[in-house]
Parts: sequence; C-alpha cells; structure tokens
Amino acid sequence: MVLQHVWGLFTNPRKEWEAIRDDECTIGKCYAAHVLILAAIPAISGFIGTTQFGWSIGAGDPVRLSTQSAGLIAVLYYLAMLVGVFSMGWMIQWMAGTYGAKPMLSQSVVLAAYTATPLFLIGLMELYPVLWLNMVVGIPALAYTVYLLYTGVPVMMGISEDRGFLFSSAVLAVGLVAFVALLAATALLWGMGLEPTFTR
Amino acid sequence: MSDQQTYNYKVVRQFAIMTVVWGIVGMLVGVLIAAQLAWPVLNFDIPWLTFGRLRPLHTNAVIFAFGGSALFATSYYVVQRTCHARLISDKLAAFTFWGWQLIILSAAITLPLGITTSKEYAELEWPIDLLIAVVWVAYAIVFFGTIMKRKVQHIYVANWFYGAMILTIAILHIFNSAAIPVSLLKSYSAYAGVQDAMVQWWYGHNAVGFFLTAGFLGMMYYFIPKQAERPVYSYRLSVVHFWALIFTYIWAGPHHLHYTALPDWAQSLGMIMSLILLAPSWGGMINGIMTLSGAWEKLRTDPVLRLLIVSVSFYGMSTFEGPMMSIKTVNALSHYTDWTIGHVHSGALGWVALVSMGSLYYLIPRLFGRELYSLKLVEVHFWTSTIGIVLYISSMWVSGIMQGLMWRATNADGTLTYSFVESVQAMHPFYIVRFAGGAMFLLGTLVMAYNLYKTIAGAKPAVATIPAPAAAH
Repeated sequence: MVLQHVWGLFTNPRKEWEAIRDDECTIGKCYAAHVLILAAIPAISGFIGTTQFGWSIGAGDPVRLSTQSAGLIAVLYYLAMLVGVFSMGWMIQWMAGTYGAKPMLSQSVVLAAYTATPLFLIGLMELYPVLWLNMVVGIPALAYTVYLLYTGVPVMMGISEDRGFLFSSAVLAVGLVAFVALLAATALLWGMGLEPTFTR
Repeated sequence: MSDQQTYNYKVVRQFAIMTVVWGIVGMLVGVLIAAQLAWPVLNFDIPWLTFGRLRPLHTNAVIFAFGGSALFATSYYVVQRTCHARLISDKLAAFTFWGWQLIILSAAITLPLGITTSKEYAELEWPIDLLIAVVWVAYAIVFFGTIMKRKVQHIYVANWFYGAMILTIAILHIFNSAAIPVSLLKSYSAYAGVQDAMVQWWYGHNAVGFFLTAGFLGMMYYFIPKQAERPVYSYRLSVVHFWALIFTYIWAGPHHLHYTALPDWAQSLGMIMSLILLAPSWGGMINGIMTLSGAWEKLRTDPVLRLLIVSVSFYGMSTFEGPMMSIKTVNALSHYTDWTIGHVHSGALGWVALVSMGSLYYLIPRLFGRELYSLKLVEVHFWTSTIGIVLYISSMWVSGIMQGLMWRATNADGTLTYSFVESVQAMHPFYIVRFAGGAMFLLGTLVMAYNLYKTIAGAKPAVATIPAPAAAH
C-alpha cells in the first residue's frame, strides 16, 4: 500500500518500525510506495516556490529563478534524493558486519528510506521560501529524523540498543559526510557554468 | 618512598585544571563575539570589546590556552605511564607550566589592547614569541628526555604523535615568527609579500595539522583504548597513517591562498596534497572507531565512551570536508564565507574539544584518587554539547553556502544580483542559531567543570608508584 507507514512513524515510531520490518519490502516496492512519491514533494515544491513566489532578502524585490533553470535544478534534486537514499542504504549494509548485523540490501535501503521521511515532508515548505520560517520548521524535522534513525536501527538490524547506538552514530557520521560531498558537488557544478538564471 | 619511584602527577594536575579554566574563558569569549555578530550593539562602542580585538583572543584562548594545556597535561601523563618513568625534571616541567600560563596571560592583556602582528593564529608580538620558543624547547627536553630514560624498549604510538607535534610546532613557530622588532611592542615580519603569506599559511595549516591533529591523535591513541579497555584495533595502521599524515600535512598550506598572488602551481600542489591527506586522516578515524566499536557492551554504563565516539566521528567528517573545500572550484565559492567557520568548528568543537574532555573524564579521577562524581552529568554534557555542535555547524553551512552563492550571483545584464549588505542581512537568523549552538556547547563545558569540581573537592592528590614493566615488553 502506498505511503502506509508515514503516519505511524510520527505517532508510534517503535511499533511502526516493527511493522516496516515485518513487511519485508523489496527495494522496488519501497521506492514505488514511498521514496518516489515523497521525494517529489521537495522537488516540486522547490520548483513552484522558486519560479512563482521567489524569495526576498531584506527589503528588496523577490528574486526568482527562470522556469528552465528551476526545472533543471528540480530534476537534479529529485535524482539526487533517489540516489542518496540508495547510497545510504548501501553504506548501512556495508557497515553492518562491524556491528554484528547481517541485513539484506533491501532492509538497509528501507531503513534509509523511512528514516528520511520527515525531511521529505518538510520539503513542502519550499513552496514559499522564507528563511527564518524554513529554519524554525527544519531544525525540529532534522532532530526527529535523527530520532527515527536511533529507534529504527536496532529494530531493522535486529541488534541490541547499545550496539544500535554505535551503529546509528556511524550512519549519522556517514550521512554528514554525504551531505558535505553534496555541498562540494553543488559548488563544483555551479563553478563549472551550471549556475541558475535569476530574474528579479 | 623516594620521588623517583612515583610518577610526577603534580604538573599533570596543574595543566588538567587549567584546561578546564581556559576552556570556559575561551568559549565564553567565543559566545560573546558570536552574539556580537548577531547583535552588533553588544560592542558597547568600547574599542577592546570589539570583534576585531576579541576574535584573536578567542582563537588564542581556545587553541593555545585550552588545547595547549590539554596537550601538556595528557602528554606528560601518557609519556610517563607508557615509558614507566618519571619526567626527567620536575623543575623544568614546573617551568613549562608557569611559563605557559604567563604566555596566556600576556596574550589576554596584549590582544584586547590591539597589540598584534596581524598574522592569524600567530598574533602575539615578538617578546611573547621569544618566551613561547623558550617554554616550548623546555617542553621538548622534558618530553624527549623522559622517552630516553624509559624502562620499556618500545615507544608507544601515542608518544610518536605527541613527539611529532612538539618538534614540528617548534620549527613552525620559530620560522613563522621571525621578525624585525622596531619597538618593544611592534615588529615587522622577516618575509615580504607573497613569501610572508606562504610562510604564514605553512605555519597556519600545520598548526591545525600538528597542534590540533597530531597532538590530539596522541590523546586518542592512549585514552580511547584505556577507556574502552581494549587494545588499539590495528597497530600497523597507526604507524602507517602516522608517517603518511606527517609527510602529507606539511604541504597543504597553499590551499589557504587559492586565487591569490601565490603562483598557480603552488596552489595546485597544495590542493593535491590536501586531497591525498584524506587517506591518512581516515586511517586514524577508522582505528579509533574500530577500537571503540568492540566495546559496545560498555556504552550503557559509560557515557565517556559516547563522547569519544562522537569526537572521532567529527574528526572523520571534518577531515573529509577539508579536502573537499581545498578543491579550487569549491574554494572559489567557500572561501571567505561562514562555511570555513563551520568547518573549523566541526574540527575544533567536535574533535579537539570532545576528545580532550573525554580524556579529562578519564584523567581527573585518577589524578585525585576518586571516582567521577556523576555519570549522569556526563550524559547531560554529552547531549548539550553534541546538539550545540550540530546547531553551530549546520547554521554555518547554510549561511556559508548562501553567502557564496549571493556574492557571485549575477543578473542577465552582468550586474550583481545582491549588494554585500543584503548578504549580511540574510545571515542574521543563522548567526542567532550559531550563537545558540555555541552557548549550548559552553553550557556543556560548565556542566563538566561542575562535575570535575565535585570530583576533586576535598580529595587528596593521588600518588602513583611506577609499576614494573610487563614481561611481554
């Protein structure tokens, strides 16, 4: 069923993780029912937000992106999220042995995909980019994502809480590294002539 | 019992306590200047309270007073314990303690008065520089002298890292501080133009590489195995990454001078060496993480281990971030923005401060023959500090990227999309978050100080006899 676990991850995360584990989803199913849909939220919201409303800094007129430029960014953004979830899953499986777990690749990808749920959902606020508001909403969402990670790892990987704490911290560190890599890639692309077109 | 049968814990105690004191002072100044960036009115129009004067005070206090005291304390402890020998001279060790405190005090007076060489991380004027050189040479004599009279044949890897730090810092400090004095409080660098810049960043980056990395790796290699009660994951890896690290670091300085008057080939060389540096850095991180990962069953009872895990994770993250930022194309965007500040603090708060604090939690109870007052408070410290770091670096990532993008954004007709002041205005919310993150980290430090104070209060200094070396050596 499409998007069936989203609500439960917020109301009763521990029980929902057990339900997710018992589903034994394949990667394809997980992407079709969850990732492909949720990742579209930030991509589409971002496209609409930057082309229709734009953002203003201080008292100036709002700055917008041209449709073509924003469209290209939205597509790249969407693809980056799809690849990002899979890569995190792959890394989780690669590290699992160190922490006494033997998950299948599908279990690891499912863990990564459902952990990212709050981050996908708050993508909605990109519809109307206001910096301080985005930050006020973004920080709790980020914190909840980390919480989901720490509760999800022991359940999905079938290891004790203590070992799960270490494993989750390692995943978090990998996540931070991946994020920095993304920042660097953005800066590289931008520097090599793929910069967006602003209108004002 | 004669002195020679015991370890010199006195100097270790002195430095350990001053680590906590200077940590609080340095971080407090940091929080103040973070608040000034968000609310400039906090300058109060008093010259010595302005950002320009307090910023070097903050960096000197946290790097050389807090970090330096932590390095002295732990290196004196580790070199004695792993060599089964007392420091060669109590008098010389005491001289390094009082000398180092005098240097810190002179810095705390001269920097707010605006007396500075203007070289970043080497702001102190020539009379203080001379004193630093003398104290540092005394430090080298005490450290290497103790290694020479060791009772075991083997020199443990932590001592290699500490030793490399001491030697290299001596060379860096003496060469970079070479200056021609014109008066007691004013001097001019011995180098001119771009050579001066190159020497400065050869020093500057290796202050990071040796003072803030090699020294603290020495700490990691002693205190992580001790706290985890497990041997180092791979001894071979520790030796291989030691040599790789010290060979590579020394070349990376030019990445601070991308797109300047420095010859282009030197910039490219600096960038390539910085990229190579990822491998030896991660060698250390993997060794630390793998050593800790075997001790997972102790996590429930030992929050100090969590502190150490997070510190090694931040080491891994920031040593990945560094090479990325040294790529010229990325640097063109990131340089002069808050991304750099965030990067420095993920290393300084996440790695350097947390590994020092984890070591203090191990060290202080043993120096005073007491149990740690409260493990619950360590847990509180762990969470406040970790959340503080995350707030700090994530706000700096966002504001740094925004600055970089806004400064280079152009309209179709080639004019700049934003004026500079618009970018300043856009930073305001992030500066508030950064202030909050820094304040949380300071709060965690205060919790630690209280915990350690309660541990020490009323305790008698511990006397430790030197055990006979194990037969295996």
